[in-house]
Amino acid sequence: MTVDRRRFLQLTGGAALATGLAACTGTGGGETASQNAKTLRLFTYEDNATIELLRTQVKTFDAQNGTTTTVDSLPGSGAAVYPDKLRTELLGGKGPDVWRIWGGQIGAPFVKAKQAMDLSAYYSKFGWDAKLNQAAVAGMTFDGVKGGLPFIALGIGGWYRKAAFTKAGISKPPSSYGELEEANAKLVASGVTPLGTGGKYGWHVMRLFEYLLEVSAGPELHDKLLTGDESWDRPEVVTAFTNFKKWQDQKWMPTGAVGLDPADVELWYVQGKSAYTITGPWTEAQGIQSGGKKSADFGVFAFPTGHEPARHSGFVEGYMINAKSGNPDMSAALLDFLIKPETQKALKITASVVAGAEPDQATLPLSYEWAQGPGQQPFYTIQDQAFPKKEADQYFAVQSDVLQGKTNPAQAAKKMQDVVKAWKK
Amino acid sequence: MTRARTRHGGLVAWAFAAPALLVYFTFLVYPALSSLWFSFTDWDGLSPGYNVVGLQNYASMVDDPVVVRAALNNLIWAVVTVVVPVVLGLVLAVLLNGKVRGKPLLRLVFYTPAVLPLVSVASIWGWLYNPEYGAINAFLRSAGLDGLAQPWLGQDSTALGATMVAAIWLRVGFPMLLYLAALQGINPDLYEAATVDGAGRWQQFWHITMPGLRPAHYVVIALSVIDSFKVFDLIYAMTYGGPGTATQVMGTWMYFNVFQYNQAGYGTAIAVVITVVAIAVSIPYVRSQTREHAA
Repeated sequence: MTVDRRRFLQLTGGAALATGLAACTGTGGGETASQNAKTLRLFTYEDNATIELLRTQVKTFDAQNGTTTTVDSLPGSGAAVYPDKLRTELLGGKGPDVWRIWGGQIGAPFVKAKQAMDLSAYYSKFGWDAKLNQAAVAGMTFDGVKGGLPFIALGIGGWYRKAAFTKAGISKPPSSYGELEEANAKLVASGVTPLGTGGKYGWHVMRLFEYLLEVSAGPELHDKLLTGDESWDRPEVVTAFTNFKKWQDQKWMPTGAVGLDPADVELWYVQGKSAYTITGPWTEAQGIQSGGKKSADFGVFAFPTGHEPARHSGFVEGYMINAKSGNPDMSAALLDFLIKPETQKALKITASVVAGAEPDQATLPLSYEWAQGPGQQPFYTIQDQAFPKKEADQYFAVQSDVLQGKTNPAQAAKKMQDVVKAWKK
Repeated sequence: MTRARTRHGGLVAWAFAAPALLVYFTFLVYPALSSLWFSFTDWDGLSPGYNVVGLQNYASMVDDPVVVRAALNNLIWAVVTVVVPVVLGLVLAVLLNGKVRGKPLLRLVFYTPAVLPLVSVASIWGWLYNPEYGAINAFLRSAGLDGLAQPWLGQDSTALGATMVAAIWLRVGFPMLLYLAALQGINPDLYEAATVDGAGRWQQFWHITMPGLRPAHYVVIALSVIDSFKVFDLIYAMTYGGPGTATQVMGTWMYFNVFQYNQAGYGTAIAVVITVVAIAVSIPYVRSQTREHAA
């Protein structure tokens, strides 16, 4: 057979085009996640302390249902990194059948893009509404679409080392913002940094600012600010930024906190390098106990706001099902299994939204104390979930400028109004 | 007869090249063209659909203050992380090319950072720069220079410089190794003759060493420049583009837009600009290499 150059180029070109188009189809997300009805994949961000607990429970589910479920985890990645990895997997056409995700503006894009399935039918089938805290369900509902199944509603509080407080002459956790400032001054005088926090990726320093905003603005105004229904260019916001700067100037948080990795700094209170941190109940198992320390040497308190209701920052986490899953029914069955009270207890979930799955007082006394006390109070949406990522990053940039003295509090309030106004437009 | 042979020879050449071309088109040309296409759309990076918006993404870049900042940071980064490592690499190569005790060990020491994973480098320097417990501030304080102790990565004024120091530490070994290899190729008789003629060491360096290293200069500088425009990982791991947006470069800003802000169309427009700049910068290098081979 005679092949001339034109014919050769046609053949090779055709092959290249075919391969290219095949690649195009592959990366376009046209495939289902699990074509095999008995195979599932769960993607999560459990850390080393809890991933085996999850794997054990998933094996139980597999044994009961004849399935084979692969559990992949991206430990310690946080809300700044994990969603990127998930998005890449989904776009690659090999996304997991089920994934864990935060609520609010972090989970919303996956539902909006229809990558996550509308779970309304499964809510009805399994009666999830009756089993779960409705506020948490609302946190996984996006524009009326029940895109996720919540299982955790985590509240953020002050976790402290008792020895640091005792050394500074502080007999009990502060009950007002004024007392908190006094406690900070005493801690600095005793030679310890009061608040261990870091602002790399933005979100931990944000936890301080959102608290200060709750103090100065109060619950109603705070909520309206987050939804853009009130202008940020107002005295209450200026006060919050002023206090924020004060915390840096008075050395109530580490020097250069905005550049520190929160994953490192959060555990400073356990290691004796700071007196307290702002975090959630997971720190008891993952920070205190995994560090070989006793819960009895630590304490937890709700940051005093001076308002009723006494709210704290919080967020919801849950699971979503891939809209392209080859086996949505079995994926939903897996979720139903995971939110059973006995499964939640076996997973040592410290802030479950499932009725009957409260933390165990004997093994997690501080988490239990939080759940029975401040955990019963309503919470305001943590701000990296309240805003889309782009706006949240702009928000963090404003906070960073304030701490560095590049922007004064009044200018910061105006800038934030510009950010929110552009977002709402 | 000759034409037929040529035609046949051409087909064989194409046949041998076909597998490589297939890979090239599938994994480079096709994705690159796809990216170019997406840069004219408003695709969010997740949804199946999108709208064509023409040049809007490119026009938006002009009004984006972070793009301006990132481009400036890229320029600063390119100048500093090319000039300093190349000069230091050259100095080290010349020194290590002479009679130095422990030469193999020193070569190893200076080159080791270049083989470390970038994330490890970022972690090492992150710890060194820690404002409370880092070795740099601890050293400054112990030397009575408390005023110089800074939150190196936590303030706009020092964050970019601090990451560039890590990049310089990382990159010195590469030019050093290339220059060392090139120095071996310079005829030692030239130095002997120059010494006999009364030339000093400085004169020998300028009139024998530097001209002898000319081909190496091309390679080192061109590759360093291209590398500097592609900077992403060190910035991502050390500062995440912060504080605020102080250390954003075009690569990280592209990543943020594509993967975090659901603005894949805009992000790919940034990627296209980075690619065009990198190609423009690499043209002199490619031309010089082509000329060399042709000669």
